[in-house]
Amino acid sequence: MGSMTLYVEKNSIIHNIDPLTKLLYVFVSIAATYIVPAHEFVLLVAAFSLLLLVLGKVFVKILPIIAISIILIISIIIVQGMFHPDNETILFSVGVITFYQEGLSYAALLTLRVINMLSAFGVLILTTKPDELIERLIKKGMSPKIGYVFLSVLQIIPQMRATMAKITDAQRSRGMETEGNLLVRLKAFFPLIGPVVLNSLNDTRERAIALEMRGFNTKGKKTFLNESQEYPYRKVMQLLLAAGLIAAIMWRILL
Amino acid sequence: MSIVDVEGLKYKYPDTDKLVLDDISFKVEKGEFIGLIGRNTAGKSSLCFALSGLIPHFFKGAYGGKVLIDGAEIKQHDMGEIAANIGLVFENPFSQMTGSKYSVYEEIAFGLENIGIEREKMISRIDESLELLDITAIKDNNPFDLSGGQMQRVAIASVIAMRPDVLILDEPTSQLDPQGSAEVFKVVENLTNEGITIIMAEHKMEKVSQYADKVLLLDNGKIIDYDTPANVFSRDDLLEFGIAAPVVTRVAKALGIKDAQSGEYPVTLAEISRENW
Amino acid sequence: MSKRSMWSLKLSTAAIVLIPAAIGINYLGKLFAGLLKLPLWLDSIGTVLAAMLAGPIIGAASGIINNLIYGVTVDPISTVYAITSGVIGLVVGMMAYKGWIATIKKAIVIGLVVGFVAAIVSTPLNIIFWGGQTGNVWGDAFYAYLISMDLPVWIASFGDSIVVDVPDKVATVIISYLIFRGLPNTLTNIYRSDEIEEL
Repeated sequence: MGSMTLYVEKNSIIHNIDPLTKLLYVFVSIAATYIVPAHEFVLLVAAFSLLLLVLGKVFVKILPIIAISIILIISIIIVQGMFHPDNETILFSVGVITFYQEGLSYAALLTLRVINMLSAFGVLILTTKPDELIERLIKKGMSPKIGYVFLSVLQIIPQMRATMAKITDAQRSRGMETEGNLLVRLKAFFPLIGPVVLNSLNDTRERAIALEMRGFNTKGKKTFLNESQEYPYRKVMQLLLAAGLIAAIMWRILL
Repeated sequence: MSIVDVEGLKYKYPDTDKLVLDDISFKVEKGEFIGLIGRNTAGKSSLCFALSGLIPHFFKGAYGGKVLIDGAEIKQHDMGEIAANIGLVFENPFSQMTGSKYSVYEEIAFGLENIGIEREKMISRIDESLELLDITAIKDNNPFDLSGGQMQRVAIASVIAMRPDVLILDEPTSQLDPQGSAEVFKVVENLTNEGITIIMAEHKMEKVSQYADKVLLLDNGKIIDYDTPANVFSRDDLLEFGIAAPVVTRVAKALGIKDAQSGEYPVTLAEISRENW
Repeated sequence: MSKRSMWSLKLSTAAIVLIPAAIGINYLGKLFAGLLKLPLWLDSIGTVLAAMLAGPIIGAASGIINNLIYGVTVDPISTVYAITSGVIGLVVGMMAYKGWIATIKKAIVIGLVVGFVAAIVSTPLNIIFWGGQTGNVWGDAFYAYLISMDLPVWIASFGDSIVVDVPDKVATVIISYLIFRGLPNTLTNIYRSDEIEEL
């Protein structure tokens, strides 16, 4: 039973970078593409994010993630291309459908931003172990309870899914309605979601008890089984990223 | 000083009228093994919760009387302060896995990290617990990839590593298959040899008579008897309280085999083979 | 009833462990809605239940963390809407605390409020990040229609969000209300913050 992460176990330069630095990259690169609305700049940032994925040997894995947002991208291209308020210059038309240059240009900018967002996140989530990221955040001051929530979700949901697969099979053998009119299907929702809720609330009650007995509410400084890993060039990279962000902000204010 | 000292304990869950624990008083000495028996509604689980501090701190409700663990009164301290002093293991092995750790080794570390044990000590305690619970072979497995018996042993290990004064086991084998049950009882036996004070709620009377120094019989939230297994299981009114004596004892009662001196019936198979009968 | 303010940040262990369960319920709700081919997302049932059980802070946390987790495990776009999810939990929690989970009619009102508030919060997000659209086929078709009528972007975007959010949230709150009403006491009273009575 796997956990839910997209983490790909490999040994690459990107894998060996401090998780917090990668997190910072996500913020900075996304922010920069929204602060500086110039096509060339956004294209560069998106290309850089994709390059990082190549260096991390995980480029292939980003494609299914981009595919999930393909409807959004196509919708943007169509709606902006045809209906953007500033549309004047006709680029091409197919029968009654006309695409304008201004709209398509704007759509291109938005699309590049989306691709960069997905890729930058990809750099973080495809090359970072979730428990390492959370532990780094906790050592930096995030509440260990919140850290617990993030980590446990990743394992508890696949467990819930497995338990529910058994219940769904039982329901199906009793004739669960996947056809029929809307009302019938809507009613069929309850015998599915009902057991899920009861089961998980019961589980929650027991797990809360177990956690209490394991000192979840104990005050005082926590210790860590895993030793802190050293990341070379961590400070340099973080400084560069911060500088990049400031530069982008300055550009926007001054121009 | 007794390690567990309960005085006039009374308790009612929120929004209910009935007392689930009704004026309970008893003491447990260090190193003793107490078997907690009674029918399903007798209040065994509630008593386990009361000894671990979950009643009243987790469940709230209405509370009276005192519970002292190693001299400290449960009611006067937060859960955070007392959790390390009492270990609680209950029926469902799955819900005792935290879910935030990816290996058995780290799972056991969870409690130790919370109470701030420094790293070197943590490692030696975890290694010890792995040995004691016979789970060293699976220390790198994911906690959810285990059988029920293995998971339950991890749960016990996680709690033992915190070095509690008292270990409370609330029907630890009810949800396990026969193999899992056997595994868990085997490690319980190991633990009794370590001198740990244990209170175990159980339905399997043979196990209770095998391990227990004393048996606490509850019914309707009250203590009916608190005595050696021989005395408790020799009673004639056990069925009224919803329990049956160990098979050996029932057979002995039917055949009229009693100890000539004490007037008690044998409670384990080993006893019958002796010559006092 | 509860003596602690709904805004108390002293979160009990039970309330914190509720959050992963809420996210799991969100996830499975969405799965079942897809399986039954319902024209609704139904991906916030867990958030709404958590808010009804444990108040606005836990409700908001469930919503926010839900989107963050979904964002890093399936679709990064979801992280943008963490704020919207958080607000949904917040609003349900606040109204639940003030006694609005009493009848189906009141539940419908909560659903409408939540739907509109969600649309209001999502609109600026949609405009900033993807020019006003939502990526939902029906909503974006409506957006295109409104734009072609020369309405300003923010109205078109708001209309898009209303189409996407309001029906779904009303259904979600009603379903959650019905489930909540059917829950046994032992599962609901551990999230309250009563005092310990003396006997």
